[in-house]
Amino acid sequence: MEERAIHIVDLHKSFRDQKVLDGINLEVEKEKITVIIGKSGGGKSVLLKHMIGLLKPDSGEIWVNGTEITKLNDKKLNEVRKTFGMLFQEAALFDSMNVYENVSFPLREHRSMSEKEIERIVEERLKQVGLLAFKEKMPSELSGGMKKRVGLARALVCDPDIILFDEPTSALDPVISLTILDLIKETQSYIKKTYVVISHDILGMFRIADKVAMLSDGKIIEYGTPQEIRRSKHEITQEFLQATQIPGFTGGSHG
Amino acid sequence: MDRKKISSEVWVGVVVLIGILSLFYMSMRIGKFGTLHRQGYEIKVTLDNANGLDPRSPIQIAGVEVGKVSAIKLDGYKALILLRVKDGVKIPVDSKAAVKTQGVLGDKYIEIIPGVGQTYLAGGDRINDIITVPDFGEIFTQVNVAAKNFGDTMSEFKGIIGEQEKISIKKSIDNIQVVSGDFKNLVSANKNNITRIVTNMEAISKDIEAGKGTIGKLVKDDTLYNDAKDVVASLKNISGDIEQGKGTLGKLAKDETLYDEAKDAIGNIKELTDGMKKGEGTLGKLAKDDSLYKETEKAMKKIQKGAEGLQEMTPITILGTIFGTFF
Amino acid sequence: MFRKILRSIFQLPLTFLQELGNISRMFLQVTYLSFRRPFKLDYIFKQMEFIGVRSMLVVVITGTFTGMVLALQSSYGFRKFGAEGLVGAIVALSMTRELGPVLTSLMVTGRAGSSMAAELGTMRVTEQIDALTVMALNPVKYLIVPRVVASFLMLPVLTIISDLLGIVGGYIIGVKLLGINEGAFINKIEKTLDLPDIYNGLVKAAVFGIILSVISCYKGYYTRGGAEGVGRATTEAVVLSSVTILISDYVLTSIMF
Repeated sequence: MEERAIHIVDLHKSFRDQKVLDGINLEVEKEKITVIIGKSGGGKSVLLKHMIGLLKPDSGEIWVNGTEITKLNDKKLNEVRKTFGMLFQEAALFDSMNVYENVSFPLREHRSMSEKEIERIVEERLKQVGLLAFKEKMPSELSGGMKKRVGLARALVCDPDIILFDEPTSALDPVISLTILDLIKETQSYIKKTYVVISHDILGMFRIADKVAMLSDGKIIEYGTPQEIRRSKHEITQEFLQATQIPGFTGGSHG
Repeated sequence: MDRKKISSEVWVGVVVLIGILSLFYMSMRIGKFGTLHRQGYEIKVTLDNANGLDPRSPIQIAGVEVGKVSAIKLDGYKALILLRVKDGVKIPVDSKAAVKTQGVLGDKYIEIIPGVGQTYLAGGDRINDIITVPDFGEIFTQVNVAAKNFGDTMSEFKGIIGEQEKISIKKSIDNIQVVSGDFKNLVSANKNNITRIVTNMEAISKDIEAGKGTIGKLVKDDTLYNDAKDVVASLKNISGDIEQGKGTLGKLAKDETLYDEAKDAIGNIKELTDGMKKGEGTLGKLAKDDSLYKETEKAMKKIQKGAEGLQEMTPITILGTIFGTFF
Repeated sequence: MFRKILRSIFQLPLTFLQELGNISRMFLQVTYLSFRRPFKLDYIFKQMEFIGVRSMLVVVITGTFTGMVLALQSSYGFRKFGAEGLVGAIVALSMTRELGPVLTSLMVTGRAGSSMAAELGTMRVTEQIDALTVMALNPVKYLIVPRVVASFLMLPVLTIISDLLGIVGGYIIGVKLLGINEGAFINKIEKTLDLPDIYNGLVKAAVFGIILSVISCYKGYYTRGGAEGVGRATTEAVVLSSVTILISDYVLTSIMF
């Protein structure tokens, strides 16, 4: 139990007639970066939302740090959620607040801290993501990559045990993608928390992943280290790897 | 950030303040904060019918508002009206009260006609002398019925030229009877007024009997009387002669005198009617009946016009109905 | 084909009932949460500023011109009776009992209700609402309660301002422009208008405030389908709020007056 942050057992979920998750079994190790790779619309986000209780499964169990969360009431679920941080696909910054207010918001709502302490923590986090100079800016004034960095700072600000990343590199240009991935890796090596990342960007993820899970047709078809996955002979994994390779060019696959 | 927060609250404060001031101002202007309820003193009036009166209907003396109706209760089978009158307005004990209407559409109000006494009503006292003004609505319906019947009669007359004259005339007469019946109702509704007129007449005739009145009138009365007596005497003579069978030529001379006397009589009668026409003398009062008739006729015409006017106004009535449903 | 038609016929009242139930649930949830700590006072004030202060101009204009046109129209009618003195009373009664609350609510629906739906809809499709949930914060408490409370409080304030301005507008047209006897005009208002006319109008406005904010927030909160969904939610919010306000206006009027 100790080395597992999240443990998913036989998770099923359907929307109307469409089976999205069809028996997911997954163990997410503590203090590691676990990447879940799958096609767009293949149920990755749905899986992630189950981990934090945004969606309720049709059947199956989800254990978070030894607590089964699918049957908890809102109040207890919120206690579990406080151990989470999450970076959304489009960062989901609050439009009505500037960068500083966005990052300090979870602290203000959950911790009774003096304004000075809040300021210290928030500025530290903003420094980590390199956006201290932008703290008075509104989200609408930021680029996509900056928003994600602010989102990361906000996700980290409460010192959560588990941080979930929903497509951290989508809709970003390759250079910015790399800086975000490096930032994720860097912060993880610094704070040593459990990271769960979902993405379809298999090559980019090999840069940061400790463990990779392949999601296809509502099931985890493969699970292992990046090296193991790269050597996999599994049909769908091969398809994924080949789709991102340009013939005669091997760049990007080593890192 | 802090500055922005403050300004948001300040702005809300400004708007709320404007709102409260508006509400306060309107409430004050309406003046129904109960200010009147504690001030003044209360007197009572008992009416046969309080229809149209509301609590807060105004009380006026000589057209000046001096208070408001504070309550309307049923007392036995009559309406007990409590009037709250402003302090400082003294109402003599022998004052009279009347329910009056302001305009055609206007509200009912209570008019107090002050008496001349030196003692004044205190709180809880009652005004006993109520002047009942004929109800406009009642009169209107009665007149309406009468006019309708009259109209029917007229159309009957129009149809008379046919063979069924007799039946038509009979019907007409029946209708006339109905009309006069309606008129009787009208009269009975105004009994008080008529009674008053009759009383006046009685008093006047008593005066005449007693030989009172202005000298001029008396003189007139006397000559009139004498003239009339002459006429009667002459007539008596003539009839006496005729009775005696004096039909010979010689009697033609008598005819001459008869002619003269008749002329005199006619002259007297003419004089008399002239007096009446001018409205002089006691009998002149009778001539007033004539003008009364004419005025009634005029009034009828006016009412008819009014009814036509009402018909023209139906679009507005519809508008009113729309407004009514709207609220 | 026939079955399809039959199904849609049965579907229609079903969706209606479901919508009604969902909105009622949202209303109850908001009511419950409004009385629970923490009271987000600064959120409420922010919304009061947005709903109240920023709607002032439009309410001022609507109120004044409604009163003016009422005076113009009713004086035309009353002139035929020779009862022009009643114009003031008509304007005052119409404004306080009916047009003040209803027009103010409709204007606020158009201005603030639509933007509530759009704002919440955007927050929904950009996962800001999920972000709140993930932070273990109740989005209804943080996003909807302040809006509903603020409209509940601000609508009566806006309405009384609209009432007064309507009467002032009527006065300007009636007395200054059409030359109606000023004494009769004002006296009739003071005599005809009762305090309950004003207060019931304000109660109506408060109820309309709840209706428009709950419906607009509900529509925004459950937005689906990206930017297009936000547009749809906004339209639906305005239409449904306005219709509900007018229907409930009838119900309220028949109960109160």
